[in-house]
Amino acid sequence: MPASAGFVEVLKCSACGALDAGPREICPVCHAPALQPGKVPGAGSLLSWTVIRRPPAAFRAEGSYAVAVIELDAGVKVTGRLDSPDAGGQLGARVVLAESKNGVPVFRLA
Amino acid sequence: MRDVAITGIGSTLFGKHEGRGLESLAVEAANTALRNAGVSRKEIGALYLGNFIAGPLSGQEVLAGIVADELGLENIPCTKVEGACASGGIAFRHAVLAVSSGMCDAALVVGVEKMTHASGGQVTQALNCAMDNRSDGPSGLTFPGLFGLAWRIHAAKYGTTRDEVSSVVIKNKANGLKNPLAQLGAELTFDVIRQSQPIADPIQLYDCCPVSDGAAAIVVVAKDRVKDAPDLPIDVLASVQTRGSPRIAGHRDIVSFDATVKAAEFAYRAAGLAAKDIDFVELHDCFSMAEIIDSEDLGLVPRGMGAKWAAEGRTRVGGDIPINPSGGLLAKGHPVGATGVGQLYEAVLQLRGLHANQVKDAGIGMTHNLGGSGIACTVSILKRPDV
Ligand SMILES: [Zn+2]
Repeated sequence: MPASAGFVEVLKCSACGALDAGPREICPVCHAPALQPGKVPGAGSLLSWTVIRRPPAAFRAEGSYAVAVIELDAGVKVTGRLDSPDAGGQLGARVVLAESKNGVPVFRLA
Repeated sequence: MRDVAITGIGSTLFGKHEGRGLESLAVEAANTALRNAGVSRKEIGALYLGNFIAGPLSGQEVLAGIVADELGLENIPCTKVEGACASGGIAFRHAVLAVSSGMCDAALVVGVEKMTHASGGQVTQALNCAMDNRSDGPSGLTFPGLFGLAWRIHAAKYGTTRDEVSSVVIKNKANGLKNPLAQLGAELTFDVIRQSQPIADPIQLYDCCPVSDGAAAIVVVAKDRVKDAPDLPIDVLASVQTRGSPRIAGHRDIVSFDATVKAAEFAYRAAGLAAKDIDFVELHDCFSMAEIIDSEDLGLVPRGMGAKWAAEGRTRVGGDIPINPSGGLLAKGHPVGATGVGQLYEAVLQLRGLHANQVKDAGIGMTHNLGGSGIACTVSILKRPDV
């Protein structure tokens, strides 16, 4: 379910405007307890990716899956998934948000 | 601050200890260390015990007090220290602080872990307690996965190849064959490594350290109180601890850990030394790629050259900078809470000239212990007293 319709949920500090991938309790920049839920466009580039072939017990049912670190164009780095274990690409490749699953953003190559 | 030396050391074999509990392993190592420390049990003023996952895997906490009771120590402060896979190194640093500050004249450090009785899934799950489970955990990332992410970036930036990375594995496994405490020494070929099972691409089976049981112990004593030590006391020049980001995405660069870079910088400064003065290092090679990154972060190998130096033989015993002559975590084993103390045990043997895989004329040694996704790090520098 693309509930966030192409947007990645992040935190935005209402005191200084800083963005953070979260979850986090206070603003990492100005330390104000003023982080609010926000959204940024789900477009960015692939910093790196791996395919987890020996998942921890909690993820065993999923089989192999790809975890990626994405640098969003909005300037936030997030750890998420690629939409298929065979989805990998060149580092720096463009990606877009495909869906959000259990709060984890899932990306596909653009 | 007073000068501090290591007098007593002890260790169990690293590997599978079927039917033995954490307490049994810890007491074996600690009792050995106490018996060759040259101080009486009454003089031990503090105990620091490094352990990471006795809670989830064995349902046992308060290990520090249990071990002290078994050993017949006084009613001293006994503290369990947790910093993921750096727990042992952190325990050592606290003991050094306790003695150097004058709080006590001698302190006992123990590191212990029992892992092999649990299933692979349980172990992975327990180790994942070392992630920030608000962020990286939900993605399904694992520690091999972290180093898979790092590998791709290292390869893209520096042209690092599968076979160059395998050189690290082949070296450490061969070193492990010479170490009587090691769990999994082996003579390996590039082919065998290349064909091993994929774990977290590009990480394959032989890129990973084994699951291990084991314990190691060290007695640290004020330098002016070492006269009764039966074996050569080894000087502690620096024991430094730092933190880094708890999250993958929080690292500026996934092929370097700030915690290691800073710890090395502070340790060199504290010891009044530079990287070129280090004769050997026992560093945190939980994965082949980890050794490559660590060696660069510690300044022992030029940035980007970690794998290439291994391939050129510059990091083996007899090379420019011998890395993990013990076999490291890859071959000696990685009982996580014990590892940092085990590294110090190996370094002391090297500096006494008694190691089974001896670095010739070893005078100054370094140990490096890294926890979590780079959240906790210790670096220590030890010296033979006549150097
Ligand atoms: Zn702010």
